[in-house]
Amino acid sequence: MQLEQFRLDNGLRVVLNEDHAAPLVAINLWYHVGSKNERPGRTGFAHLFEHMLFSGSEHVGNNEHFRWVQSVGGILNGSTTFDRTNYYETLPSHHLELGLWLESDRMGFFLPAITQEKLDIQRDVVKEERRLRYENAPYGLALEELLRISYASEYPYHWPTIGSMDDLSAATLEDVKEFFATWYLPNNAVLALSGDFEPRRARALIEKYFGEIPPGAEPPSFRAERAPFRSEQRDSITSPVQLPRVYRLYHLPPFGHPDWVAGDLLAYVLSVGRASRLDRALVYEKRIAQEVGSFVLQTEATGMMIVIATARERVDPAALEEAMDAEIERLVVDGIAEAEMVRARNQAETGYAHELESFGSRADLLNTFATFEGAASALDPFLSSYGRSRPDRVRAVAEAVLRPDNRSTLWVLPETEG
Amino acid sequence: MTAHAPHRETAPSPEPPRPYRFPPILREELPNGLRILMAVRREAPLMTVRLLVHSGADHDPVDAPGIAVFTAEMLEEGAGERGSMEIAEHVAELGASLYCGADWDGSVVSLDTLGRQLDPALGLAVDLVLRPAFPDHELERMRGERLTAIRQQKDDPAIVAGHLFNRFVFGRTPYGNPSMGTEESVSAFTRNDVASFYARHYAPNNTSILVTGDVDPQRAQERIARAFGGWERRDRAVHEPPRAGEREPARIFLVDRPSSVQSEIRIGHVGVPRSSEDYFPLLVMNSVLGGVFTSRLNLNLRERHAYTYGVRSSFSFRRFAGPFVVSTAVRNEVTPEAIREVLNELRAIREGELTEQELSVAKSYLEGVFPATVQTAHDLAGRLQEMDLYGLPHDYFDQYRERIAAVGAAEVRAVAQRVLDPDAVVIVVVGKARDVHDPLRALEHPVGLYDLEGNVLPR
Repeated sequence: MQLEQFRLDNGLRVVLNEDHAAPLVAINLWYHVGSKNERPGRTGFAHLFEHMLFSGSEHVGNNEHFRWVQSVGGILNGSTTFDRTNYYETLPSHHLELGLWLESDRMGFFLPAITQEKLDIQRDVVKEERRLRYENAPYGLALEELLRISYASEYPYHWPTIGSMDDLSAATLEDVKEFFATWYLPNNAVLALSGDFEPRRARALIEKYFGEIPPGAEPPSFRAERAPFRSEQRDSITSPVQLPRVYRLYHLPPFGHPDWVAGDLLAYVLSVGRASRLDRALVYEKRIAQEVGSFVLQTEATGMMIVIATARERVDPAALEEAMDAEIERLVVDGIAEAEMVRARNQAETGYAHELESFGSRADLLNTFATFEGAASALDPFLSSYGRSRPDRVRAVAEAVLRPDNRSTLWVLPETEG
Repeated sequence: MTAHAPHRETAPSPEPPRPYRFPPILREELPNGLRILMAVRREAPLMTVRLLVHSGADHDPVDAPGIAVFTAEMLEEGAGERGSMEIAEHVAELGASLYCGADWDGSVVSLDTLGRQLDPALGLAVDLVLRPAFPDHELERMRGERLTAIRQQKDDPAIVAGHLFNRFVFGRTPYGNPSMGTEESVSAFTRNDVASFYARHYAPNNTSILVTGDVDPQRAQERIARAFGGWERRDRAVHEPPRAGEREPARIFLVDRPSSVQSEIRIGHVGVPRSSEDYFPLLVMNSVLGGVFTSRLNLNLRERHAYTYGVRSSFSFRRFAGPFVVSTAVRNEVTPEAIREVLNELRAIREGELTEQELSVAKSYLEGVFPATVQTAHDLAGRLQEMDLYGLPHDYFDQYRERIAAVGAAEVRAVAQRVLDPDAVVIVVVGKARDVHDPLRALEHPVGLYDLEGNVLPR
């Protein structure tokens, strides 16, 4: 994979991945700010701010960013996580300059365009997003509750990126200005390009559009330490659903730590595909679960593996949890067979191959490493570390991580009639 | 404002466009009638192998919905020498993802994996499609899982809205039923039902194999001929097309879900088949109306009124006329206003002016976005599937952009008038009746009250 990395004088870091497989270019811009940088009373602000960044800048009218990109056949969006906010578009490659103009305008010339009316509209849109994805969706409030019990209230993974209705209501135009001035700086961003361009020309265009944007003060560094609980944290909530669900969060080392990869493989061994441990035992053999799943998030401050099991009708969540724990115990005691590791590794390998296949997801993956690990070139050793992972190492991580005092458990129970 | 560099003030001009061509499509047909379509793309190490049977859920008997999907899913529950769990292990070992399922127009066995796994992938595919065992004990297990899944769908207001919209628009026809089946139909399936759906429809002369991505076409073709050459041609089933019900004056079906904080809204009626001559003008019209972020519907309901996180309109272009539907979810208080705005937009696009800018944005979007939608082997397989199912000409994807470019404003208006019928829409609202029932009566369309199963509720 062709890779070139450099830094502009204003601190903007750039990753260029030239590939002429299709006449397309993906532009992918990460700002190193997410919900973990929010302050109490303003939860959800990083994500609300992401919406504001689509409502125009000095030379680009409200919704014109969308219209420009779509009018040339581009696809675009943005997203916010705990740790970062990304903005991206895939364009026909001869429109590269348009994309750079648009992204640089909202990095350098955003403030003159903001108005109270735009904030009020986007605030209401985000509240509808919260209703759609959290409040009105089956099990939609589980994640919020799971995070609430898994992290102490001072620790910013305590709340989800969507934030609370009250905090969304409280956000002001002053907050928008301050957030922009603190975080939306060339020296707090990484721009990754993947696709059909000539690197010298791309570099000149990036200098032209981003070079003039002044850097700002170094953003505050993230300091919070997760204070481990001494025992398992448990809770249950009710919801308008028919089947109970068990949610588990296990604390892991953060993304970038060597054991994170072992944790990822462990998630495959546990419940990716029907031949995985939990699927086979709970869904296929015992038929006490309707579905199970587990995954590891690419989080920067601390890691988490989430395991979810939905009970079949008339199955008690306690019985489901007990069966889950029996499987985990068996894995820790008996270890992992070489054949299971081969399956986990091959699935992970194909998974990454799919992510690298289209320019948009490739640029995003490169930016993950550029932003969290300091260099896009860290992707390669990361991928090869999957091939080197041994069953013993994964078992050892399972033993260290899948412990009661390192987890929280949430039950979502059907509301009873009446 | 300070003056900025000239390059800042206006959008830059594009460079000359770089050439784009859809990869050449290689077609063969085996003596038994199995069609082979291949499109090579070797830049990434991935491949899709897909068996496509030209009979889908539209072949479900009206009183036994779900058999097409159930049959396809049973293929991976035991085939050839392998049992259900051995198949799952093998798939994971190949690093593959396997999909066995059916949509309205076809039944599919599809494997996405690394191109170097061609031989084992074809070996597995041939077992699944030619030598399924349909074991009784796995069928009972699947039935249990499926019944639970069907009941569980009632938890999700978006799924309920979609199903009931189909029921109220299409009535007692296959498209009016859920393709996953109902509790009643799935409870009654027997092994014989599965085996006979399989026997009627899974035949080489009713099937195509699509191979895309990182493969040597010569080698793939030899392997396919060897693996599938012995599959015996069968008489093909004659299919009675499902008929949609007659359109009726607009009415509102309010489905009560007391816990809802948003109304899930579906508004629409029967659309047109994929073979419609209006296909390209309709794509352009729908893009202006509700197909993209900057569409009229989204700018109105989201960006002007902030009623919703998003709204879209879409046509389901199928072998027979599928639905045209506008979908959104809005907070309870603005339910009638949101419906009124949707109806206003449907009227406006039939009766009002289409600006030059709207037309050119919609067209240049559809023309320009095509290459971005076929970046992966999986995407390419989807396009070959479309070509094969609907009998599109071999140069279809090369002509695609010209066909979009040829659409004019008058044509867009004409198809909007011909196809859209805001006076005959079905309006489904899944929401909290206590809050939204009375306000909905202000819309001057009859309002009926229903439960989550679609049964009439006493008022």
